[in-house]
Parts: sequence; C-alpha cells; structure tokens
Amino acid sequence: MSKTAVSSAVETKILAEMIVFIALANALYLISKLYLPFLHLPQGGSITLASMVPLFWFALRRGPRWGIEAGVVYGMVHILYIYGELSLPTEILLDYPLAFGALGLAGLFKTRPAIGVGVGMLGRFICHFISGIIFFGQYAWEGWNVYAYSAAYNATYLVPEFVVSAIIIFILLKRNVLHIYT
Amino acid sequence: MSVFSGLKFRKVSSPIHNLDPRMKFVYVCAIFAAAILFSELLPLVILFLIQIPFVLLASVEREWLRSMRGAAFLATIIFLTNIGAAFFRDGYVFTAPSVEGAVAMTLRFMVLVESFSVFFLTTSPDHLGLALEQTRVPYEFVFAFTTAVRFVPVLAEEAQTIMDAQKARGLELERGNFLKRIRNYIPILIPLIIGAIRRSLELAEAMESRAWGATKKRTNLYVLKMHRGDVVLIAITFGILATAVYARLFVRIPPVNELLRNLP
Repeated sequence: MSKTAVSSAVETKILAEMIVFIALANALYLISKLYLPFLHLPQGGSITLASMVPLFWFALRRGPRWGIEAGVVYGMVHILYIYGELSLPTEILLDYPLAFGALGLAGLFKTRPAIGVGVGMLGRFICHFISGIIFFGQYAWEGWNVYAYSAAYNATYLVPEFVVSAIIIFILLKRNVLHIYT
Repeated sequence: MSVFSGLKFRKVSSPIHNLDPRMKFVYVCAIFAAAILFSELLPLVILFLIQIPFVLLASVEREWLRSMRGAAFLATIIFLTNIGAAFFRDGYVFTAPSVEGAVAMTLRFMVLVESFSVFFLTTSPDHLGLALEQTRVPYEFVFAFTTAVRFVPVLAEEAQTIMDAQKARGLELERGNFLKRIRNYIPILIPLIIGAIRRSLELAEAMESRAWGATKKRTNLYVLKMHRGDVVLIAITFGILATAVYARLFVRIPPVNELLRNLP
C-alpha cells in the first residue's frame, strides 16, 4: 500500500464528513419542502432553506475534488426524495449527479468564497439549462423560444438560491465556522 | 412519532421488490423507448396499463397514486399547451384528432413518470447500492450513497429539534425583511453544522474501528443473482420492445376517434 496509515485515517474522516453533510443538505431540502411547499416549481427545482449551504461549506473546506464527489452523491441521494416531482430516466444524469457535482467547483476558490459560490451555482445553472433545452423544450411557454424558456425557468429558482447561499456562507465565514474541527 | 419517520426506507418483500434492480432499470429504459416511439393514443394507453400489475404486485398503490398526483399538475400544463396550439392551428375549433393528440402527449408523459416511479418505489436504497457496486461503481461512492440515505431522517429530525428549540428561545423566523430573515436562520444553521461535524467524527471512528479501506478487494455477503423472476421480467421487456418496434414499422395504428365512430 502506497498510502501511509495517517493519510488514510484523514481520508476516512473526510469521507465521514462528506456523508454527514450530504445527508444534512438533503434534510434541509426535506424540511423546506415541509414548510415552504409553495416554492417548489412544477418541473423540478425549488427555492429552499439554504439546502445548498452544507455542500458549499464542505467544498470550501475540503477543496474541489471532495466537493464534486459530494455533489454527485448528493444528486443520487436526492433522486430518492423527489418522487412526485418530475423526473425522466434520461434526465437523471444531467439534472442530478452532474448539476450538483458542479457545485463542488466552489472548492476551487477557497480564498474567495463569494466567487466560489457563484461559480458553483453557475455550473449548476449550465447543467439545468442544457437539460432544459434537451428534455423540456416541448413544454416551453407559448411564444418563448426554447433557450429563453430554459434560462428563465432555471433562473427563477437558482438566483434566489444563490443570493441566500452566498449571504449565509459569508456570515458563516465571518464567524469562523468553516475550519472548526479540522 | 415525527413527520420524518415516514422517510425511513423499510425492507419490503414482494415479487417486484425482490427483482434485480439492474433488470428493473433495463425495463424502465425499454418502456421509455417504447413510449417515445408512439404519438398515437392507443399504444400509450396500453403502455400505461401494462405497468399497473407491477404496482399491484408490489402493493405500493398509495405511494404510486401520490406520485401520479404530483405529476398531474405538469400533465395538465402539457395538455393545455398542446390543445391550445392545436386550437389556434386548426382555426379556432376543437377537432377530434387534435384533442386525441393532446391526450396522447399527456399520457406519454404520464407513462414516463409512471415507469420511473415504479422503479424507485420498489427498489430499496440498499439494493440499489448493491447493484451499483456490482456494476463496478467505486465502493467509496456506493458507501457514501447508502450511508447518507440512512442519515437523512436522523439529521432532518435534529434540524427540526433545533428549530423548535430556537423558536422557544424567541427566535422569529417569519418576521422582518429578507435580509433579517436570512440572518435569523444563522442560529439554526450553526448548531446544525457543529452537530453534523460531531456526528461525522463519530462515524469516522466507527469506520476506522472496522478497518475502513484496509482491503482493496471487497467481497459481499449478498450477491445479486438472476432468479426466475428476473428472467420473466427480461422476457416481458423484450416482448414489449419487439411488439412496439413491430407495431411502429408494420401496423397502421387506428386513431381512437375513428374506432369510436365505427362502433355502432
């Protein structure tokens, strides 16, 4: 084995952290679904009580590699809790694992968290945008072209989500919650 | 009893639950492909009805109805858009074929949602994890997936408890302007994060004490094997696909409104 015992112990710790934070993000999503059901859009996507914050928090703490992995697994777990909202077999790849994996890109900007959160959200937006064009084009509103429809639809919930997450991450950083227990 | 106890996935045994998840996924993809092939009403009705025996066999009717109800809203939108477009195209009249076309598009959407929800309603996360592992997904991912699923109800309950505790101390979540509300959310989020980190340390200790990652080649207690049910499912899947392709290529599918007119 090339890895030393110490590094593998650290890796176990990070993996455990990742698991718990994925679960926390899903739990926040479920709670916001319970309290704010009217903020859920018909074709998937919703404004939540900062359910992305644990993922950003983890990505900023542990870097992009772990952040992306957490996002991908979060996307897979998330699928189990969304039945009732729309999901098609083909979009599960683009809309869930890839889109949430993109959130992990926030880890690239450890020193500038606001930019990191922005880049992560932009990555998620691009994935949803593409999936909107491919899979939901037929549901576009009357008189809208597909690109405008997809961009507008996804922006309606991602922009508020971005603002809330960025503010909360900023406050958490100011209170030094990012690097506790490392 | 809390609201979140319903989220725990229980082990259920039924002919459908016991099927190999990989085969079920192939079945879902076949239904998906078959539904895409047709835009006529009759075959889509058949595809929709074909799946109801699965729901009944697995006895997940209630959950299934709930997911159908969730999809109903979007289905209504699809129906209205389609029929609206046809209404303007035909010169402000509703014709029988255009109504049928709109119903067919809506039903196609319902078939897709139905097949997918049957898959997820009858596959436990553990089973899904096992299937992922045996399709060579790295074990780290699979472990993270199955464990995270187990932690979700626990953490949701913890979040609920913290929200109640902070409310009891006079924290007002529903007051003030936008920025104030976000700031009010911080006293909930910080204890949650700290609690989650502590939990993760415990989890890491438990993993370490069980020698996580010590062996590179893992073996499983349960191995997914093909049973008679899986073979039957494969046969059904291929039957549906073959019939669908044959019908598409060689059979003229009569519109339902024509059939109705010829009835008497």
